[in-house]
Amino acid sequence: MFERRLYYHIDWALVIAILALCALGVTMIYSTTSDPTRGISRMYITQLYAIVIGLGAMLVMMTFDYRTFTDKSHLIYIGLCALLIYVLFLGQVQMGARRWIPLRAFNLQPSEFAKVGVALVLAKFYGENRGTPSWTDLAIGFVLTCIPLGLIAKEPDLGTAVTLVPVFLAVAYLAGMRMRILGMMFLALLLAAPIAWKFALKDYQKSRISTFLDPSQDAKGAGYQQIQARITVGSGGLSGKGFKQGTQGQLRFLPVAHNDFIFSVLAEEQGFAGVLVALGLYLFVILRALEAARLSKDRMGSYLVLGVLASFTFQVIYNVTMSAGLAPVKGLTLPLMSYGGSSMIATLAGFGLVLNVRMRRFTN
Amino acid sequence: MAPQVEDRRRVASRLSVLQYVITVLFSILAVSFWVLQVVEHAKFEEMAENNHQRTLPLRAPRGLMLDRNGKILVDNRGSYSISIVREHTKDLDRTIHMLAAVLGLDEATVRAIVDRHRREPTYRPITVVQDATLAQVAAVKARRLDFELPDIVVEQVPTRQYPETMAAHLFGYVGEVNDAQVASADAGELKSGDIVGQAGVEKVYNAYLMGEDGAKRVVVNSVGREIRTLEEDEPTEGKRLQLTIDYDVQRAIEEGFDQLGFNGAAVVLDPHDGEVLGFTSRPAYDPNAFASGLDRDTWASLTGDEDLPLSDRAIQGRYSPGSTFKMAVATAALQEGVITPDFKVHCTGGATFYGRPFKCWKKGGHGTVDLRHAIEQSCNVYFYTIGNMTGIDKIHKWATLLGLGEKSGIDLPNELQGIVPSPEWKQARFKEKWYAGETVSVSIGQGSVSVTPVSMAVYAATLANGGTRVRPHLLKAVDDGGGWKAVPTPPPLSRAPLDPEKLQAIRDGLYLVVNGAGTGHNAILKGYDVSGKTGTAQVISNQGKERAGKTEKDLRDNGWFVFFAPRDNPVIAGVVLLEHGVHGSNAALVAHHVMETYFAKKEGRPLPPKPEFKANLVP
Repeated sequence: MFERRLYYHIDWALVIAILALCALGVTMIYSTTSDPTRGISRMYITQLYAIVIGLGAMLVMMTFDYRTFTDKSHLIYIGLCALLIYVLFLGQVQMGARRWIPLRAFNLQPSEFAKVGVALVLAKFYGENRGTPSWTDLAIGFVLTCIPLGLIAKEPDLGTAVTLVPVFLAVAYLAGMRMRILGMMFLALLLAAPIAWKFALKDYQKSRISTFLDPSQDAKGAGYQQIQARITVGSGGLSGKGFKQGTQGQLRFLPVAHNDFIFSVLAEEQGFAGVLVALGLYLFVILRALEAARLSKDRMGSYLVLGVLASFTFQVIYNVTMSAGLAPVKGLTLPLMSYGGSSMIATLAGFGLVLNVRMRRFTN
Repeated sequence: MAPQVEDRRRVASRLSVLQYVITVLFSILAVSFWVLQVVEHAKFEEMAENNHQRTLPLRAPRGLMLDRNGKILVDNRGSYSISIVREHTKDLDRTIHMLAAVLGLDEATVRAIVDRHRREPTYRPITVVQDATLAQVAAVKARRLDFELPDIVVEQVPTRQYPETMAAHLFGYVGEVNDAQVASADAGELKSGDIVGQAGVEKVYNAYLMGEDGAKRVVVNSVGREIRTLEEDEPTEGKRLQLTIDYDVQRAIEEGFDQLGFNGAAVVLDPHDGEVLGFTSRPAYDPNAFASGLDRDTWASLTGDEDLPLSDRAIQGRYSPGSTFKMAVATAALQEGVITPDFKVHCTGGATFYGRPFKCWKKGGHGTVDLRHAIEQSCNVYFYTIGNMTGIDKIHKWATLLGLGEKSGIDLPNELQGIVPSPEWKQARFKEKWYAGETVSVSIGQGSVSVTPVSMAVYAATLANGGTRVRPHLLKAVDDGGGWKAVPTPPPLSRAPLDPEKLQAIRDGLYLVVNGAGTGHNAILKGYDVSGKTGTAQVISNQGKERAGKTEKDLRDNGWFVFFAPRDNPVIAGVVLLEHGVHGSNAALVAHHVMETYFAKKEGRPLPPKPEFKANLVP
């Protein structure tokens, strides 16, 4: 349980950086959703609630030793898979996908929590093994990742599903997977791409990728968002257009500005200066968390931190790249800043585990 | 313990690798943003501005036209135009398809309009429907809200309106400027899509009438909804024109023609200065149809009509003047001293000149007549005789001085010149010698004489005012926003040195035509000493008429009536021509209604009601 002395080992710098990003996010959500011509939106309030709940979840995740969670990780994992199956059949349909379980205050998105669940189960699995993971170990880890991945991809929510891949890769990498195998997997992925193109991807996904390669071929259709994202970011300039003064986000040339494209709006309204601050905060959070992985008293802690960090880092880099129109548009949110309760709570809970590992580095 | 230590080392080194990789990735991101936001900032800023700022044209209304008393003759009404702005088009084919369906138009028609403007800059709206119905506007607006037609603009534009269908050829019509007009205009003066005058006063005074379009820069959101106006450059309305036309005189002319149903023309002038009081050409068209964008079918029916409704008969129609030419012959004979007013000729119903018989219209003949009675009775033999005595050169000289065979110089486009023949003219035209026998025909206004109605009006005015060949004109004053400024009267084109006593003899004859035993009884107006002359000009020779049979409408004679009133110090002069109107006395019916209206208005009496006369169709 929570001992008094542990309090002194809490990484306050990380907590403050995380809260700063949350505040930045709420500010940008307020800016993009409170356009008087569209009526005052309460989205930023909802986001504040999510942050409060998320901080609660973070506290819970810090209170118990992380080994308590890893010990129970198979149960958590099974529970999450059950939730994912439930969503698949009984979830709420929005924009053509079943992703949500409607709760009273907001809709719960189990796929966001699956990332933490997979991080826990992989940390436990590889943490109990010593030495370089064998082929069997890799295969088991892969299957453990693929079950929730497949369920999420089926919703369909390919974006979120893909974020589980870095979790597996990162943990396996840290656990000592040979670089040769990593190379082979990369090669296999490359070979599988055309097949996936032909059979697995849906038309809208294909068009997103093909227009990314040449946005002008469909400047008003699928390439529209990408071009608009670039215009949004580029027109921000060095110091930005000012709070609520952005034309691209405010006048809705950029869709879902409060969500997937929140970083574009930041870039437009706060300029390159704002971008540097936000990127700096994210980099600080990631490096600080890597520090926690290094300081961990056991391998399981390191794996757990890296598992949590992997999907987070992947999402941050991908979303920021996409925000500048430099990557195909995908429904991937920016953790800590984008509007979305489940993502916020799951991310903060995940960082609860990171803090947990760091503050218990001296305990046995 | 060994593997554990090894694990620890590996974890530490692999974490370091991740650290570096992530730091490098973030650096790349930062550089990318720097490139976009700092290096390429100007380009993207412009693109963002193009995104959310639109410049919308604000069409300037054309200047109003008023009659001489300030009554509005031509004005503007608010209408909606529907245009495509290709700059915001995703898929032009789809837009054309949808727009055609929404507007209930033929897709090929819409495509043809778009194709015509294909090479223009994409920000310039292509107007598909000029005068949209409210249903069309509503249909388009509903689709715009559904984001289906974000590239369609509904513009409120002033459209030319001609409240009453009158004087169509005088007002002319407006239409979209064509490429040749854009090319020939001074740089920047006209641009594609402008509405300009294409005929009549609208064309001649287009520079006055056309205002200066304004523009409005607005902020729009992603579906094209206007959020707010950044700046507005108000359009400048075109200058207002006061015409010399008198609304009531004009209406009287139109009523007269409506009542009789003939094609033809009429021009009524103030004989002192050539101000045009009324002007018509029939058949007419509805200029309103042009104002809202003429469709292909209407245009085809106008241009294909055998009656040529687009041609302005008053200035472009050339007709044989018949007996109305006799005053010109009389003037020549008197002024050249060939005869005196008392010169008498004995008419037996015909005479022989150069071995050829020439008939008088009255079979039994007029007996012995002097000039006054020869005009009154329109005795052909009298004029054969004096014409032959005077000779073609002198007839030509004086007819020209009176305004015949010349352009009147009226301020309307494309006026044609009539013909008053002379040996020189014949030589130049046919490379043939003039035969003296031709002079005999010319003396009664037949042969190669052909005149336009407007030149006949000038002729009437010249006889009325004592020899000054005034220049008919339509513009009285211009209001450029700072009040009315009178337009100076154009100077007369020539002055015929007419001896007042000799002219008085002719006027006496003209007075008798209406008030004596002549053919102009229909124009009699008690107390106003109306003077005039009918003319009945054959469209086809008597022999030809017999060959063709008498039933064909097109073969009926044209009827003229030239007039002025009162006889002494006339204040109104003019001409009425009825195509195939059978006889000049029918034209006098119209002239009567016009003069009755004119004098009633002048003296503040109630205007005469719409006339109910009928043409006498017995030749």
